[in-house]
Amino acid sequence: MSTMLLQTALDVSLVLCVLGLVWRVSAWFRVRIGPDARDVTLSQRVAALLHGAGAVLASRRIFDVLRACFLDVLLLRRLFANEKLRWLAHLLIVVGFVLLLLMHALAAVVTEKLFQGYQPTLAPYVFLRNLFGAIVFIGVALLLVGRRRRRTDLAQVRRPIDAAFVALLGFVLVTGFLLEADKIASPRAFYRMTEQFVGSTDPEKLEPLRALWASEFGVVFDDLKQPIDPRLIETGRELHRDACAPCHTQPASAFVSYPVARMLAPAIGVLDQGRADVWLLYLHAFACFLGLASLPFTLFFHVVSAPISLLVNGAAPNRASSAQEHSAAARASRRALALAACVRCGICDAHCSVAPLARYFGNPGLLPAHKLVASGEFAGGRLLRSRNEQDGLRYEALRAAEAAFLCTDCGRCTSVCPVGLDLEDLWQAGRGDFAAAGLPAPAQWVRERAALAWAESLEADLVQSRASEADATLAPLSADRRSFSRCVQCQTCTNVCPVVAHSMHSDHGVDLTPQKVMNLLRLGLRDLTLGSRMVWDCATCYQCQEHCPEGVRVADIMCELRALAVRRLGAVRGVREAA
Amino acid sequence: MTGARRNSFDVAVIGAGMAGMAASLFAAERGLSCIQIGSGGGILFASGLLDLLGVHPVAERCLWRSPYAALAALARDEPLHPLARVDAPSIRAAFATFVTALGAAGLAYAPLGEQNRNVLTAIGTTKTTFGVPRAMVAGADLLDAPDARPPCLLVDFRGLREFSARQIAATLGRSWPGLRHQRIEFPGSGAAPELYAAHLARALETAETRANTIALVQPLLGDARAVGFPAVLGLARAGEVHAAFEAGLGVPVFEIPTMPTSVPGLRLLRALEAAVSTRGVRRRHQASVRALAFDADDATIELDGVPGGERVHARAVVLATGRFTGRGLTADRDAVRESILGLPVEQPSAREGWHQRDFLAPSGHAINRAGLRTDEAWRPLGASGKPAWLRLYAVGSILAHQDWMRSKCGSGLAIATAWAAMEQVARALRGTAAG
Repeated sequence: MSTMLLQTALDVSLVLCVLGLVWRVSAWFRVRIGPDARDVTLSQRVAALLHGAGAVLASRRIFDVLRACFLDVLLLRRLFANEKLRWLAHLLIVVGFVLLLLMHALAAVVTEKLFQGYQPTLAPYVFLRNLFGAIVFIGVALLLVGRRRRRTDLAQVRRPIDAAFVALLGFVLVTGFLLEADKIASPRAFYRMTEQFVGSTDPEKLEPLRALWASEFGVVFDDLKQPIDPRLIETGRELHRDACAPCHTQPASAFVSYPVARMLAPAIGVLDQGRADVWLLYLHAFACFLGLASLPFTLFFHVVSAPISLLVNGAAPNRASSAQEHSAAARASRRALALAACVRCGICDAHCSVAPLARYFGNPGLLPAHKLVASGEFAGGRLLRSRNEQDGLRYEALRAAEAAFLCTDCGRCTSVCPVGLDLEDLWQAGRGDFAAAGLPAPAQWVRERAALAWAESLEADLVQSRASEADATLAPLSADRRSFSRCVQCQTCTNVCPVVAHSMHSDHGVDLTPQKVMNLLRLGLRDLTLGSRMVWDCATCYQCQEHCPEGVRVADIMCELRALAVRRLGAVRGVREAA
Repeated sequence: MTGARRNSFDVAVIGAGMAGMAASLFAAERGLSCIQIGSGGGILFASGLLDLLGVHPVAERCLWRSPYAALAALARDEPLHPLARVDAPSIRAAFATFVTALGAAGLAYAPLGEQNRNVLTAIGTTKTTFGVPRAMVAGADLLDAPDARPPCLLVDFRGLREFSARQIAATLGRSWPGLRHQRIEFPGSGAAPELYAAHLARALETAETRANTIALVQPLLGDARAVGFPAVLGLARAGEVHAAFEAGLGVPVFEIPTMPTSVPGLRLLRALEAAVSTRGVRRRHQASVRALAFDADDATIELDGVPGGERVHARAVVLATGRFTGRGLTADRDAVRESILGLPVEQPSAREGWHQRDFLAPSGHAINRAGLRTDEAWRPLGASGKPAWLRLYAVGSILAHQDWMRSKCGSGLAIATAWAAMEQVARALRGTAAG
């Protein structure tokens, strides 16, 4: 009866898991990220995969793949390069978990076939089971320690379902050890075993065995006469050698469960009464099945996606040229795969060169892991649909676009990614998507109107009166007369400005010079500068600021004006801040 | 000679204008370790011309052909004038050292003589000066021609609003019949409504632009025996550009300084920065002095504008912070104050005395002679009338009893007093080293 229940539950979980995997893997051919992915059909993407795989298998690239298989997938070389502690933790978890899975969970399929006479109660399996469980535990503990140490004030990308899955994993381990501990201490289990293997309820035989198992093997009898007669134990030892020892090692070799059993001892009567062995088994088994069924929908899908990603990217020998090298169909699939392969480890966030800006703008969406999540949301259409409750504006999308365009493409995230994602390609595709959705980079949309037209729109727009308070914090220099009142209009800034110099030879010259921007500020006409080409084409080389004989922070003011323009002109343009 | 302490120097020069640069240069030349604090941006207002002494007395606007004769007259009439307190051999040595250092840094000057020279200005007037950059000297030679001034072509560029050859020719035409002017389009500037001198200067450092410009001027030469341009002939490689123009046009070529801030100012700043830096002077050009304190043998300077702040120790301090534009002196409603230490400032007793009723009065205003009084060794006096600290010195325009703008003696004042004060610094430091 119970076996049938467990078997059915296992079958259902397996079916759910397979269906989930199919759904998730199919996303690699469905999800579209980047303007170049829009016109690629499903069949083209499948064909690209087959073609790519065929080309790899038929060429010397196969050695690259094998190399990647060994170094990247098995040894996690990329993780080792950046995070030694996490690499160790991950390795411990993987090793412990895989060995437990093979030896213990799949005993009937694997261990019994490989090792004659396998019994879960025999040495060395009892010891090994504890060892593997302990290895996973140590790994998880190291992971948590590392996570504590890395804690920052910036929000990290974590989903509740992923935390739940980790808790589930812990639950499986804990129930496993408890189940084993319960069996060690339980007199009920003792009697069941003796009935089965000694085949006698004769007190002559049972008493010495009880004496031995109680004094040396941790079974807890509440009706045993104390102190135990040593001769009785010796008799029990002989009986044990014949009846038990052939298929039962000493329980103490379960070096985790045995101490736990000692702790359970006082409660063993109650536990036996309540059939703890049965419900612990159910809890343990059902937790495993639940994990199996939900695996495709949690972070742990990465056990499938990450190796594939590593193999795909590891087989592309020249990362820099990979974007050009692959067809649009292959690029589309690789981006979709990236969404699934990201393990939310946050190493990219820790190395991100615009992380300081994330803090400055209060927009954690600048960080790579967040951007990757936003890419997924955007591809799923959720980002553009999400509207702010208060004014129905596309706040989330605006923030995500801001984050996308503040990225400097320094490439650090790609270089540290432990699963080898080509993140720069993903960011570039994302920017294309934002631009296509009417959210181009500020430097692009600011050119929709001339500086004067922007200033007139600002004047006509009622929003601007609301902006004044935020302006002072966003643009403290240009809001304070003292920062430019020293300007004597000597033109030094203009004379040393390479952007103005270049516009001498260009049809798309700047509309103002730095010195004129300063003069507009002096005249209280800051709005006129916000959409100006000079402000937006400034190369921030700081020549002006270095040379200014009056110490005016010209370049700093230019940067500020841009930040202010994003907010003020962005408001006029219709994508408003919700704050 | 640097002490064992970190960030410890023989001399700290506060200020990086002409006087601060000269003081740092001379300190380095004397083998003293030196740190210079402050922005050199003020030098951008300079024209590259090095005045020594052109006018004395200012009330009579009397121009002098010989600066040394003028200095002798000044010493007679105004013994308190800082330049009157430096002897002629020292001034000759100071100028020679200064100009040699500039030459080595890529800014060549015509050999210094005993006479002042006249040079053309951007508005067609002439200006009396002493040290003339190599690139401008051909113009001075024309003005000083013993007989009639030879035919000459002035060229300007469409869009360069700060310089008009036509205006210069109109102003000088009566006394210089052979002076012609032409406006040309700067090669490759077709689209630009307005041009800026420094951009032209950089553009002319590429051989192609240079050749195109020369080709445009060549057919306009006519009988001209020299060609004048606005001062845009190169920036970092000005010598090369000027030589190329002379070779290409086959006649002497000279620059006329444009309105400040100008390319010659940029060249001077670059050359001075290079001169002091290559001599090992440490520069804190974005720093300002937050606090300056002295104990018996050591000055401690706290700096602002350096990330995390910085503390500097020096055995001697030279104040070269300038007057009002350099912000060495600040004027409020009641009085003029010295900005860093609050040293007593020689000034009219009340604000009414700052200016004359006639703003353009040739004798100038009392406020233009305000500044620090020093003892014989260039040490500014404290409230008690004694030196404020035993090794605090003041040089340049912050000194009282001079009106350098009207006297045409700005560079001379900076260079000569820096030289004289540094002699005192070296002597004082030698004294302590021996003792």
